[in-house]
Amino acid sequence: MSRAQTLTASPLKQAWLKWRFHLNILLILIPLGFMPKYFADAKLFRGEAGLGANIVRDIQVGPYSLDLAEMRDQEPQADGPAGFFKVFNAALCKACIQDVKATYLRIGKPRSLRAAGTIFFGAPYNMSTSLPIPPRTSPDAQIWITVEGWDGSMHQASVPLAQASPATVAWLKKQGGKK
Amino acid sequence: MKHLMRTFALPTLLLAAAPAMAHNPMCECEELASGQVKCTGGFSDGSGAPGVTLDVIGYDEQVLVGGKLGEDSTLTFKRPDGEFYVLFDAGPGHVVEVDYADIPQP
Amino acid sequence: MAKTPKKSKSRLWFLVHSWLALPIWFFVLIVCFTGMLAVVSQEIVWLADPAVRANKPDGDAQRMTFQQVLDALHEAKPDMIVGGLSQPDGSHFAVKANVTLPDGTSPTLYVNPYTGAIQGKTPDFNFEAFTRALHGWWLVPFTNGYSWGWYLVSILGLPMLASLVTGLVVYKKFWKGFFKPVRTGHGSRIFWGDLHRLAGVWSIWFIAVISITGTWFLIQAILFDNHITLSSEKVVPVIAREQVPQTQDGSPAPRIDLDEAVRLAGLAIPGLEVSFVSLPSTAYSHINLSGPGWYPLMHQSAAVNPYTRTIDSQFLISDRSALEFVTESMRPLHTGDFGGLPIKLVWFFFGLVLTLMVFSGLLIWTKRTAQATAAALKRGERAPRNLPRETTVEVHS
Repeated sequence: MSRAQTLTASPLKQAWLKWRFHLNILLILIPLGFMPKYFADAKLFRGEAGLGANIVRDIQVGPYSLDLAEMRDQEPQADGPAGFFKVFNAALCKACIQDVKATYLRIGKPRSLRAAGTIFFGAPYNMSTSLPIPPRTSPDAQIWITVEGWDGSMHQASVPLAQASPATVAWLKKQGGKK
Repeated sequence: MKHLMRTFALPTLLLAAAPAMAHNPMCECEELASGQVKCTGGFSDGSGAPGVTLDVIGYDEQVLVGGKLGEDSTLTFKRPDGEFYVLFDAGPGHVVEVDYADIPQP
Repeated sequence: MAKTPKKSKSRLWFLVHSWLALPIWFFVLIVCFTGMLAVVSQEIVWLADPAVRANKPDGDAQRMTFQQVLDALHEAKPDMIVGGLSQPDGSHFAVKANVTLPDGTSPTLYVNPYTGAIQGKTPDFNFEAFTRALHGWWLVPFTNGYSWGWYLVSILGLPMLASLVTGLVVYKKFWKGFFKPVRTGHGSRIFWGDLHRLAGVWSIWFIAVISITGTWFLIQAILFDNHITLSSEKVVPVIAREQVPQTQDGSPAPRIDLDEAVRLAGLAIPGLEVSFVSLPSTAYSHINLSGPGWYPLMHQSAAVNPYTRTIDSQFLISDRSALEFVTESMRPLHTGDFGGLPIKLVWFFFGLVLTLMVFSGLLIWTKRTAQATAAALKRGERAPRNLPRETTVEVHS
């Protein structure tokens, strides 16, 4: 069975007919373009690209010390109604791994151990946590690290947010008074 | 594998074959007309948090109201006088603080 | 816009069918092809890399328990921290261990389940992960919520479903086509057309499964990005501070071992099979166990408190709502990962057929529609400007 079908060809249609194959090319370019990023991310997730960006080394927290880094040098990411978050990584000193029960991160000094902030999870050589960043945070705020020992002791230290995550501070300044 | 990641999963889990995303704890409070404050807890993936502890704590660290979220993931209490904060407490390191200054009055 | 000499719905359907995949045919082709590879990617890696295989040292060697594997790992590398152990579906696969080394790197190791020997680690180019990433989200990174590549790929479920429906509408009496021979010697157009139709009728079920489950992936992303969950599973609170003992000497509080956790979970949940163990990721975390249940498309899980020895939460097949039976079945139905190698091979075969369908559909189209269109375009260029230009498209059904 063979029949003829007629279609009127407007200039728009002609352009479409001519260019639609180039859509294919565009679609193929997407994964090619993202491939370097894909492999860089895979390396980052395997921990082979180091702890992260803007590493602050040997932060002394009581008798312990740790390195802190933001996962990526970028502004906080929104998680819908829960607000904005930044992923931070940390590495405990090798000698303190046995003694440390938990490590927490919070913007501003915690009121209590219960409200110490968000907990680091994963191997102490390379642990992560997702830190909430309230949009009203002052750009000169400090990030507070709380270390809880198995013996029940609690130790604290702080680093300037501007040092640990310049991109977050830039974002806060840009955000200025919006919320 | 999604079910494995529902326990406070965090972004490193993107490594998994099928990406599973984080769900962060959250808590929102609003003052009702009657001087009552209603707080709603939950997680950013849309899950509720029935039974999770929610305490209202004064700036002097005195627990003013201690409670657990109901089946609808909310708790309503009378607004205390003075300075206080609300602590949504799903366990160590899984807390959300809401300061009294952030609880809008109608 | 179509002026047909004789009004016929099936001709319109035919046009819709022919246009569905065309402007993006190469994209569709690669998505089908990589999907086909992803189904058997684990097996391909097994063939390529001896480290992934679970070779038995001698006839009566026993498989090690999870704790025995963990002990073997600790003995081999005392500084290493193990995050989780999993036994892939199939006893010919080595146990996978997610570990972190003192230098902060986190490889996945392949461990022999009989001897506990570390046989190798996931290579830098992870073929399984790469094919899945290419197929699943076109390598577009997940920065905030689902990647737009995920949307791009999963939205293909809709035209795919439409091409199945329109294809069946235009193929008169398709149910008689299951044993129609493919005609050779009548030119390539006839050959590819016959092949396209034959492959089409045999893969009706498969196209339906893949397109519906693919569309589910789209819905899943939309739900997640709008912070809506259909899951009835409660978020498991972490272990309360009071339940984790303090120690006088400041050393970590003792926890039960993995085998004990598996035993306790087995007592509480008869028939729980454990193929995945995740070790506590903080001092306040559970030992999470999971594995297949009686319904092959879903897993069961349990969270064991390593201090109090209680099962703090569980999510079993019987805990699922009717809706979850549908939604949770979507992923395994898409990947063919629910019945071992035989099912995977069936999925692989039909994945290949589907790839051929896209390819043959394209050949038919270029030989027929494109030539006609090109000819019409040429005529159109020659035609005077004030006259309506017409394109002739041949339609075969």
